[in-house]
Parts: sequence; structure tokens; C-alpha cells
Amino acid sequence: MKKLNIILVVVILIGAVMLSTMGSKPMQGLQSVFLSLVSPFLKTGSAVSQQIGSVGQNLKTLDELEIENRDLTLKNRELMATNQLLRDIEAENNNLRQALEYRERSVFKLLPARVISRDASTWWNTVKINRGFEDGVESDMPVLTETGLVGKTTTVAKNESIVLLMTDETCRVASRVEGSVEQGIASGQRVASAGTPGEVQLSFLSKSANLQPGQKVYTAGVSGGVFPSGILIGEVKTFKARALDGQAVLAPAVDLAGVEDVFILVGAK
Amino acid sequence: MKTLLSLAALFLAIFLAFPIQEMIPAVPALHGARLLLVPALFFYGAVALPTSTMLALAVFTGLLTDLAYLHVVSGQVEIAVGWSIVFFVILGLLANGLQPAFQRGHWWIPIPLTLVATSLFLLMQFAMISLRREGFFFNEVVVWRILGAGVLSALVAFLIHPIAIWSGRLMEDSTFARRTVLAKP
Repeated sequence: MKKLNIILVVVILIGAVMLSTMGSKPMQGLQSVFLSLVSPFLKTGSAVSQQIGSVGQNLKTLDELEIENRDLTLKNRELMATNQLLRDIEAENNNLRQALEYRERSVFKLLPARVISRDASTWWNTVKINRGFEDGVESDMPVLTETGLVGKTTTVAKNESIVLLMTDETCRVASRVEGSVEQGIASGQRVASAGTPGEVQLSFLSKSANLQPGQKVYTAGVSGGVFPSGILIGEVKTFKARALDGQAVLAPAVDLAGVEDVFILVGAK
Repeated sequence: MKTLLSLAALFLAIFLAFPIQEMIPAVPALHGARLLLVPALFFYGAVALPTSTMLALAVFTGLLTDLAYLHVVSGQVEIAVGWSIVFFVILGLLANGLQPAFQRGHWWIPIPLTLVATSLFLLMQFAMISLRREGFFFNEVVVWRILGAGVLSALVAFLIHPIAIWSGRLMEDSTFARRTVLAKP
């Protein structure tokens, strides 16, 4: 090997080691630049596959569209009325909490987003969505659908973000079980075994918890945590008592393999 | 000019390979193994390019790979940016050492290289994650994901050589398009 090449190799290796000592923020900054560069291709690919998938599905007669429109208008009115009612209850609840000198509950805003890429790597469960810091998204914001919890944002670029799914081993959610005093930590698996893709484990329960299949599990909303309380995580499938604690296996409430539209909780108004 | 064009095409192909391989779903029959296009392209370049250019390609590929797989949760980085650069530089140098055999007509050399390197890359990723999470385990799914990805990438590597030859001929013969038109009756 030429002398120049040896020098080049040494310089590159020193540079790589120096890069590896960077903090997480500059690394995420670099990643968000990379994300912004590749996202036009991801968005185009997502749009094309969506178009291909929807061929035939979107062809409806005028009558069908009229019926659908009527149903949707009705549903929209119903939801608006329910929403108004819940806002009144929320205001009343906050007033009562204030009277009792409790901390006022934050009011969150839901930002709709679309999944543009899923399962980009072999070992991590993540998806990419088409919302970024320009839309008010920050890292560590909860992501959910109308049926339950999806995960939380990690790296946020200008118009895109990476969402860590709750089926990932590194996504840990403080949880409580409906109809019991049991609380635990829900997290995914590093590599799901062959027959059980997308299951979540609920650990650190008491040995005597004796949870039954079908019991619902919600976020516990610990102070200083990412997730507010009351978001549905999933349902208990099985429970087993271990040497020191109890562990339940949950079926997530959201079909994470097929989820396309999500909402980001973008913080207090 | 032709060399510069080929080089630019290779850099561009590696960059585009990242979003493309993201769009390709994992293979359920191989327990979720994914097709990785980047190693196949890199190792073809590594046996075909001069050492200094290969090193530039290794830095480019390694940096983009690290950024594509960077996993930060609550401020904790699982695999730091930079290790893939070291990986591609070292394996790129090994591949570059096989260049004389490749130039003598052994066009298949990048195929086993891609198989081994892709599997090794995923194995190292898995080992680093396991060390950080303080829990090492190995099961059937892990093996499938590592070896399956290697085999899938090797299949892509098999296709790269004819594509490179074809595109090289296109660039070499600038009159190709004109002669094609003239050849028509």
C-alpha cells in the first residue's frame, strides 16, 4: 500500500473515533439533515405505493359517495358535540383541581401525521412520519391513534420525524392495569420470536397480580414522563408469576405493522 | 471523464440505496430479514476502485449508514456515529486487496464478500446493542435475520456486475444512441 493511502487510513480512523465521541444532540442534528435529504424519496415512494394500493378501492358511485358523505357529516356533528361536552367537563375538572390545589391538567393538541416509511432497520422498531419541527414536533412526544398508543418521537427533522414504536425494547412505558392497583413497565422485545410478532411485555407487576386475559392496560402518566395517563396500550394476553415479580404479555391496541395515520401529542396549548 | 462519471454514479447509487432499501419490506419467510443494497454496492466499488477512491467511498458509505441507523432514546445513543466508517474502511481495504483477481476476470468476488460483510455488519450491530442493553441472547430469529440479509444482499451483488458492464458500455460508446437510431430501417 502506498504511503499516502496509509496516511489517509490513519486520518480517517482518527476522524471516525472523534465523530464517535460527539454528544447525542449533534448526532441527532446530523441525522435530521440526512433525514431531510432522503425524505423526498421516501414520501414519493409512500405516495406511489398508496396510489397503487388504492386502485379500485377509491372508485365509488355517486350514490355511494352521497351516503358516505351523509354518514360522515353526522359522525362529525356527533364528535363535535362530544368534544364540546368533554371540554366543558375538562374545564370543570380543572376548576375543581384548582379548588383542591392540585396541579392543573395540561390540555394537549393532536397533530395528524402520515407514516412515510416503516421498519427501516433490522434491530429497531421505528417508523418515519411526515411531520417535523416546522409543525411544532419535538423529540419525546407521544404518538397515538384513535385506538391507542403507537410510540414516541426521537429524532425530529424539518418536515419528518422518527417514531420509536412501543414494540421496541428501548421504549419503556409506565403502565397501569384496568380494574386493579397493578402498575408496571411495558416494553417491546429486541427480536420477537417467530410466532409472536409485535407483542409487548408488562414487567414489574406483583407476583400475586393474577391478571386475566382481556384486561386493558393504560399509560400511568408518571410525573416527568413522556406519556400522559389514560392512553390505551393494549390488552393482557397471558400472565405469569416469576421468581421476583409478575409479567404479562400484551397485545397492542394498535396494529403497528399496518398503521398509516397517527396523531402526535404536541404539548400544552 | 468516464471514470468520474462512473464514480459519481456509484456515490449517487449508494445514496439512493438508503431510501430504496427502506421501502422494500422485510421478508417474513426469512423471519424479518431485510434486503440491504448498500453493502452490495460498496463492495463492488471496493474491488473495482483505486485504494484512495475506495477510502472516500468507505467514509461516505459509513457516515450515511451510521446516520440511517442512529438510534437515540432519551438522550442515549445506542451505536455512535463513526463505527460504520471504521467497518467499511477495514473491510474495504480487504476487498481492495482482491482487486488483481477481480481484474483478471473473477467477477464473482464481490458476491461472497457481500454475503460475509453484510452478515458481519448485522452481527456487530446486534452485539453492540446487546452490550449496551446488558443482555446477550441468540435465537433462531437472530440467526435468520443476520444470514438471511447476507444472502439477499449477495443476490443483489450478483446482479450489479452485468448492470455495471452494461452502463459502462453505454458511457464508453457515446455514439451508442445515435447508431441505434441509424440502425433502424
